[in-house]
Amino acid sequence: MKIAIGGKGGSGKTTIAGTLARVIAARGLRVVALDDDSNPNLALTVGVPAGRAIALPGFPRDLLEEREDGQGQTSLELKIPTEDFIDRYGVRAAENLTLLVLGQPSHGGSG
Amino acid sequence: MRGVLHGLVAETSRVAIVDLEAGLEHLSRGTARHVDTLLVVGEPYFKSLETAHRSFTLARELGIKQTRMVANKVRTPRDEDTVREFASRHALDLVTVVPYDTAVTEADEHGAALFEHRPDAPSVAAIQRLADQLLATAA
Repeated sequence: MKIAIGGKGGSGKTTIAGTLARVIAARGLRVVALDDDSNPNLALTVGVPAGRAIALPGFPRDLLEEREDGQGQTSLELKIPTEDFIDRYGVRAAENLTLLVLGQPSHGGSG
Repeated sequence: MRGVLHGLVAETSRVAIVDLEAGLEHLSRGTARHVDTLLVVGEPYFKSLETAHRSFTLARELGIKQTRMVANKVRTPRDEDTVREFASRHALDLVTVVPYDTAVTEADEHGAALFEHRPDAPSVAAIQRLADQLLATAA
Protein backbone atom coordinates (compact mmCIF):
# COMPACT_ATOMS: atom_id res chain seq x y z
CA MET A 1 0.00 0.00 0.00
CA LYS A 2 1.53 3.29 -1.15
CA ILE A 3 -0.27 6.43 -0.14
CA ALA A 4 0.58 10.05 -0.77
CA ILE A 5 -1.11 12.86 1.09
CA GLY A 6 -1.44 16.25 -0.50
CA GLY A 7 -3.23 19.48 0.14
CA LYS A 8 -2.72 23.15 0.63
CA GLY A 9 -0.33 24.39 3.28
CA GLY A 10 -2.21 24.60 6.55
CA SER A 11 -4.81 22.01 5.54
CA GLY A 12 -3.50 19.60 8.16
CA LYS A 13 -2.07 17.14 5.64
CA THR A 14 1.07 16.55 7.72
CA THR A 15 -0.90 15.78 10.88
CA ILE A 16 -3.03 13.34 8.92
CA ALA A 17 -0.02 11.74 7.22
CA GLY A 18 1.92 11.30 10.46
CA THR A 19 -1.02 10.06 12.49
CA LEU A 20 -2.08 7.67 9.73
CA ALA A 21 1.45 6.25 9.70
CA ARG A 22 1.32 5.74 13.48
CA VAL A 23 -2.13 4.17 13.34
CA ILE A 24 -1.15 1.66 10.64
CA ALA A 25 2.16 0.83 12.37
CA ALA A 26 0.29 0.26 15.64
CA ARG A 27 -1.75 -2.38 13.84
CA GLY A 28 1.40 -4.36 13.24
CA LEU A 29 2.24 -3.47 9.65
CA ARG A 30 5.71 -2.21 8.81
CA VAL A 31 5.49 1.37 7.66
CA VAL A 32 7.90 3.89 6.19
CA ALA A 33 6.82 7.51 6.48
CA LEU A 34 8.42 9.73 3.85
CA ASP A 35 8.59 13.46 4.18
CA ASP A 36 8.71 14.88 0.66
CA ASP A 37 7.90 18.43 1.69
CA SER A 38 10.67 21.00 1.20
CA ASN A 39 9.67 22.34 4.57
CA PRO A 40 9.87 19.02 6.38
CA ASN A 41 7.90 18.68 9.60
CA LEU A 42 6.48 15.18 9.46
CA ALA A 43 8.92 14.15 12.21
CA LEU A 44 6.90 15.72 14.98
CA THR A 45 3.62 14.06 14.04
CA VAL A 46 5.17 10.58 13.74
CA GLY A 47 6.77 11.04 17.15
CA VAL A 48 10.40 11.83 16.42
CA PRO A 49 11.52 14.41 18.99
CA ALA A 50 12.56 17.82 17.70
CA GLY A 51 16.24 17.35 18.55
CA ARG A 52 16.52 14.11 16.62
CA ALA A 53 14.47 15.44 13.73
CA ILE A 54 17.03 18.11 13.02
CA ALA A 55 19.80 15.57 13.09
CA LEU A 56 18.32 13.44 10.31
CA PRO A 57 21.30 12.32 8.30
CA GLY A 58 22.00 12.99 4.69
CA PHE A 59 23.41 10.03 2.86
CA PRO A 60 26.67 9.62 1.00
CA ARG A 61 26.53 9.97 -2.74
CA ASP A 62 28.73 6.96 -3.23
CA LEU A 63 25.70 4.84 -2.39
CA LEU A 64 24.42 5.76 -5.82
CA GLU A 65 25.47 4.47 -9.19
CA GLU A 66 24.52 5.53 -12.65
CA ARG A 67 22.73 2.98 -14.78
CA GLU A 68 21.65 3.12 -18.37
CA ASP A 69 18.22 1.87 -19.34
CA GLY A 70 19.08 0.78 -22.88
CA GLN A 71 17.50 3.80 -24.51
CA GLY A 72 20.38 6.06 -23.69
CA GLN A 73 18.70 7.32 -20.55
CA THR A 74 20.83 7.17 -17.46
CA SER A 75 19.42 7.15 -14.02
CA LEU A 76 20.85 7.02 -10.55
CA GLU A 77 20.15 3.87 -8.61
CA LEU A 78 20.87 2.76 -5.07
CA LYS A 79 23.70 0.30 -4.66
CA ILE A 80 22.23 -1.23 -1.53
CA PRO A 81 18.86 -2.93 -1.07
CA THR A 82 15.94 -0.57 -0.45
CA GLU A 83 15.10 -2.00 2.97
CA ASP A 84 18.72 -1.68 4.13
CA PHE A 85 18.77 1.90 2.96
CA ILE A 86 15.60 2.74 4.89
CA ASP A 87 16.94 1.09 8.04
CA ARG A 88 20.30 2.81 7.77
CA TYR A 89 19.20 6.33 6.83
CA GLY A 90 15.77 6.48 8.32
CA VAL A 91 14.94 7.39 11.88
CA ARG A 92 12.93 5.00 14.00
CA ALA A 93 9.76 6.80 15.04
CA ALA A 94 7.90 3.98 16.77
CA GLU A 95 7.48 0.21 16.68
CA ASN A 96 7.20 -0.78 12.98
CA LEU A 97 7.63 2.82 11.83
CA THR A 98 10.64 4.48 10.20
CA LEU A 99 10.78 8.08 9.06
CA LEU A 100 12.73 9.11 5.99
CA VAL A 101 13.09 12.78 5.15
CA LEU A 102 13.49 13.35 1.41
CA GLY A 103 12.82 17.03 1.10
CA GLN A 104 15.60 19.45 1.70
CA PRO A 105 15.14 23.18 1.38
CA SER A 106 16.76 25.18 -1.42
CA HIS A 107 17.96 22.37 -3.61
CA GLY A 108 16.27 24.18 -6.43
CA GLY A 109 14.11 21.18 -7.23
CA SER A 110 17.07 19.23 -8.56
CA GLY A 111 17.11 15.49 -8.33
CA MET B 1 19.31 12.53 -6.19
CA ARG B 2 15.75 12.96 -5.01
CA GLY B 3 14.58 10.87 -7.95
CA VAL B 4 16.29 7.85 -6.41
CA LEU B 5 14.52 8.43 -3.15
CA HIS B 6 11.18 8.76 -4.90
CA GLY B 7 11.73 5.29 -6.31
CA LEU B 8 11.94 3.92 -2.77
CA VAL B 9 8.21 4.35 -2.46
CA ALA B 10 7.63 1.84 -5.22
CA GLU B 11 10.39 -0.53 -4.19
CA THR B 12 9.90 -0.94 -0.47
CA SER B 13 7.88 -3.87 0.79
CA ARG B 14 6.59 -1.68 3.62
CA VAL B 15 3.47 0.41 3.65
CA ALA B 16 4.62 3.82 2.43
CA ILE B 17 2.96 7.02 3.62
CA VAL B 18 4.24 10.12 1.85
CA ASP B 19 3.69 13.68 3.02
CA LEU B 20 3.82 15.64 -0.22
CA GLU B 21 4.98 19.14 -0.88
CA ALA B 22 2.09 21.54 -0.30
CA GLY B 23 0.40 22.80 -3.42
CA LEU B 24 -0.67 21.37 -6.74
CA GLU B 25 2.31 22.23 -8.88
CA HIS B 26 4.42 19.50 -7.28
CA LEU B 27 2.11 16.62 -8.09
CA SER B 28 3.56 16.14 -11.54
CA ARG B 29 6.99 15.19 -10.31
CA GLY B 30 8.37 13.33 -7.39
CA THR B 31 6.81 10.70 -5.22
CA ALA B 32 3.19 11.19 -6.23
CA ARG B 33 3.75 9.20 -9.43
CA HIS B 34 4.79 6.13 -7.47
CA VAL B 35 1.77 5.74 -5.21
CA ASP B 36 -1.42 3.77 -5.64
CA THR B 37 -3.59 6.20 -3.71
CA LEU B 38 -3.47 9.97 -3.46
CA LEU B 39 -5.33 11.43 -0.50
CA VAL B 40 -6.27 15.05 -1.01
CA VAL B 41 -6.92 16.94 2.21
CA GLY B 42 -9.53 19.66 1.93
CA GLU B 43 -11.11 22.00 4.40
CA PRO B 44 -14.80 22.88 4.40
CA TYR B 45 -14.63 26.19 2.61
CA PHE B 46 -15.01 26.92 -1.05
CA LYS B 47 -11.43 27.81 -2.02
CA SER B 48 -10.02 24.74 -0.33
CA LEU B 49 -12.63 22.47 -1.92
CA GLU B 50 -11.96 23.99 -5.33
CA THR B 51 -8.24 23.30 -4.89
CA ALA B 52 -9.02 19.74 -3.90
CA HIS B 53 -11.17 19.38 -7.00
CA ARG B 54 -8.32 20.58 -9.20
CA SER B 55 -6.01 18.04 -7.54
CA PHE B 56 -8.40 15.28 -8.58
CA THR B 57 -8.37 16.48 -12.17
CA LEU B 58 -4.59 16.80 -12.24
CA ALA B 59 -4.07 13.41 -10.59
CA ARG B 60 -6.27 11.81 -13.25
CA GLU B 61 -4.22 13.47 -15.99
CA LEU B 62 -1.03 12.23 -14.37
CA GLY B 63 -2.34 8.68 -14.24
CA ILE B 64 -2.38 8.34 -10.46
CA LYS B 65 -4.41 5.20 -9.89
CA GLN B 66 -6.80 6.37 -7.24
CA THR B 67 -7.53 9.73 -5.67
CA ARG B 68 -9.66 10.10 -2.56
CA MET B 69 -10.59 13.08 -0.48
CA VAL B 70 -10.21 13.58 3.25
CA ALA B 71 -12.14 16.47 4.73
CA ASN B 72 -10.33 18.05 7.65
CA LYS B 73 -11.16 20.60 10.36
CA VAL B 74 -14.86 20.02 10.01
CA ARG B 75 -16.50 21.99 12.82
CA THR B 76 -20.24 21.80 12.35
CA PRO B 77 -22.91 19.67 10.71
CA ARG B 78 -23.21 22.49 8.22
CA ASP B 79 -19.47 22.16 7.39
CA GLU B 80 -19.99 18.46 6.85
CA ASP B 81 -22.97 19.09 4.57
CA THR B 82 -20.89 21.56 2.56
CA VAL B 83 -18.14 19.01 2.06
CA ARG B 84 -20.44 16.09 1.28
CA GLU B 85 -22.50 18.16 -1.13
CA PHE B 86 -19.38 19.41 -2.95
CA ALA B 87 -17.86 15.93 -3.13
CA SER B 88 -21.03 14.38 -4.45
CA ARG B 89 -21.61 17.15 -7.02
CA HIS B 90 -18.10 16.68 -8.44
CA ALA B 91 -17.95 12.90 -7.96
CA LEU B 92 -15.02 13.15 -5.54
CA ASP B 93 -14.52 10.00 -3.49
CA LEU B 94 -14.79 11.37 0.06
CA VAL B 95 -13.28 8.72 2.28
CA THR B 96 -13.24 10.31 5.74
CA VAL B 97 -14.41 13.41 7.54
CA VAL B 98 -11.97 14.46 10.25
CA PRO B 99 -13.46 16.83 12.82
CA TYR B 100 -11.86 20.07 13.91
CA ASP B 101 -10.03 19.08 17.06
CA THR B 102 -8.27 21.25 19.64
CA ALA B 103 -6.10 18.21 20.49
CA VAL B 104 -4.18 18.86 17.25
CA THR B 105 -2.99 22.34 18.25
CA GLU B 106 -2.56 21.15 21.84
CA ALA B 107 -0.18 18.39 20.73
CA ASP B 108 1.63 20.89 18.54
CA GLU B 109 2.11 23.28 21.44
CA HIS B 110 3.55 20.42 23.49
CA GLY B 111 5.87 19.48 20.65
CA ALA B 112 4.30 16.03 20.73
CA ALA B 113 2.82 13.64 18.23
CA LEU B 114 -0.98 13.79 18.27
CA PHE B 115 -1.10 9.99 18.38
CA GLU B 116 0.93 9.95 21.60
CA HIS B 117 -0.44 13.11 23.17
CA ARG B 118 -4.13 12.30 22.75
CA PRO B 119 -4.65 8.81 21.31
CA ASP B 120 -8.33 9.10 22.29
CA ALA B 121 -8.86 12.38 20.40
CA PRO B 122 -11.77 12.57 17.94
CA SER B 123 -9.36 13.40 15.10
CA VAL B 124 -7.34 10.25 15.85
CA ALA B 125 -10.55 8.20 15.87
CA ALA B 126 -11.34 9.58 12.41
CA ILE B 127 -7.86 8.68 11.17
CA GLN B 128 -8.36 5.16 12.57
CA ARG B 129 -11.46 4.94 10.39
CA LEU B 130 -9.43 6.25 7.46
CA ALA B 131 -6.90 3.46 8.03
CA ASP B 132 -9.77 0.92 8.15
CA GLN B 133 -11.02 2.13 4.79
CA LEU B 134 -7.60 2.17 3.17
CA LEU B 135 -6.65 -1.27 4.46
CA ALA B 136 -10.00 -2.71 3.42
CA THR B 137 -9.55 -1.41 -0.13
CA ALA B 138 -5.94 -2.54 -0.35
CA ALA B 139 -6.72 -6.08 0.82
